[in-house]
Amino acid sequence: MRKVAVIGAGMTLFRRRLLETGKEMCFQAVQMALEEAGLELKDVDAVVSGSAPDAFDGVHMKGEYLLDGAGGVRKPYMRVFTGGGTACFSPIAGWWHVASGLADVVLVVNEEKMSSITPHPQYAFANIWDPILDRPLKPNLVWIFAMEMNRYMTVYGIEKADIARVAVKNKRNAVDHPAAQLADPNITVDDVLNSEVMAWPVQRLDISPPSDGASALVLASEDVARQVSETPVWISGVGWCIDSTMWTNRDLSFPEYLARAAQQAYGMAKIENPRKEVDVVEPYDPFDYKELHHLEGLLLADKGEAPILTREGVTQRDGELPTCPSGGLMGVGNPIAATMGIKTGEIYWQLAGKAGRRQVPGSPQVGVCQAWGDLMQFSSVMVMRA
Amino acid sequence: MVGEEYRRWEGDMEALYVYTAGVAGDRFFREIRDNERLMGTYCPECDVTYLPPRLYCETCFSELNEWEEIPNKGRVDAITVAYVDDKGERLARPKVLAMVRFLGANGGLIHVVDLPEEDVYRGMEVEVVYLPRGLRKGSFLDILHFKAI
Ligand SMILES: [Zn+2]
Repeated sequence: MRKVAVIGAGMTLFRRRLLETGKEMCFQAVQMALEEAGLELKDVDAVVSGSAPDAFDGVHMKGEYLLDGAGGVRKPYMRVFTGGGTACFSPIAGWWHVASGLADVVLVVNEEKMSSITPHPQYAFANIWDPILDRPLKPNLVWIFAMEMNRYMTVYGIEKADIARVAVKNKRNAVDHPAAQLADPNITVDDVLNSEVMAWPVQRLDISPPSDGASALVLASEDVARQVSETPVWISGVGWCIDSTMWTNRDLSFPEYLARAAQQAYGMAKIENPRKEVDVVEPYDPFDYKELHHLEGLLLADKGEAPILTREGVTQRDGELPTCPSGGLMGVGNPIAATMGIKTGEIYWQLAGKAGRRQVPGSPQVGVCQAWGDLMQFSSVMVMRA
Repeated sequence: MVGEEYRRWEGDMEALYVYTAGVAGDRFFREIRDNERLMGTYCPECDVTYLPPRLYCETCFSELNEWEEIPNKGRVDAITVAYVDDKGERLARPKVLAMVRFLGANGGLIHVVDLPEEDVYRGMEVEVVYLPRGLRKGSFLDILHFKAI
């Protein structure tokens, strides 16, 4: 397999509703990514589009709809989909285009326009359930997360305040992100604990906001990367894995599927001791407890240990394991697949030394990003090196 | 197994949608509503005018800021006659639809032609007819139909 580098990234503002169409958001993100890479659309050999369910934008076959904004016209083009996991899975699809030798330069473009569906994106989630076993109960998506969060807290004896610290950290980190929708420099643990209860133990401020947004990456072969980029960031390992669709058949306290995906990625990247070797991590954080769950699934914390690390400040931007230095989905926003910009995009910027006010100290060399989705039982993982 | 006796459930996947016009679309529809004219965006790099207008050129990816008025005179490029509606129900009166291209513009518009089927032919010259000013809302249906010139 050939070496593959990320040489540019871009993302739009994340907002509850943007005037831009999905295509226009894609165009803006691609323009930024190409500019950073010092390339033009004509240099691009192939395009990968990533987007979550069509039901959000309200356009079926969204990949086709987004085509011209993503820069795919008259080029090899495909859409990949693993729900929320698309945020780190479409970069993996971009990687295999280049690693296989099929293409030298690939654009990866992720988009979500969640404001189209009204009155709330919840209306799309209502139709992801088994129509016979689940839907008669009229479930709200938050219910499943509430069960998982409750199980996690119960098994390891975790206090809610220690989970709320993740929301506080990420919303504060997001103050330094120019695209952020829900940054808050003054938020406290009490604010989170006093917010409206959605489905116990999940409260309003435990959840990331739905957003409109797009993000893009430019991936290149080693030859091209060394020619055009001063700061290529190498993709050194990828992994993905999916568990049973039946949520009653999964271990809700530990994401085993993620541990498998992570081991695949670490194996490829020759990482033997992830806790020692990983300098910065962007786990998927649509809910505050998910960051903790995912740190454990990524084998960067022992089971039940992530809340303790958070309380001790280890996961702060200047801590030993900076976690979601971007501000994450909790602070920057959650346009599902487009969160690629704050996962793979953020790790690229961090390792390239281009994260500006978000830059973690000590010129990090190894970073990991992860996304989670499908029916809450899929994960995609990427290991990157400066 | 085939039959009516199977246990079954009814459900729907209803949702209402609100779509934004976009940066280019917002101006396109405002020009139709307020000024009764078709506007496209021009790419100097590729010498192409997009109708409907776009924020960007799909070929060279330049951002397009030059707006051009498209003369209201097009030619029918393709025709169909619809006998059923979007739900598959029989239409009381068949609907003639045409794809119309405009001189100097890349792209075109698809809309209803206000003529009987036998009077519409490929290459015929048509123009856009707008709704009266007070009724226009800044949407595609501000265009009533094409009529022969
Ligand atoms: Zn052009």
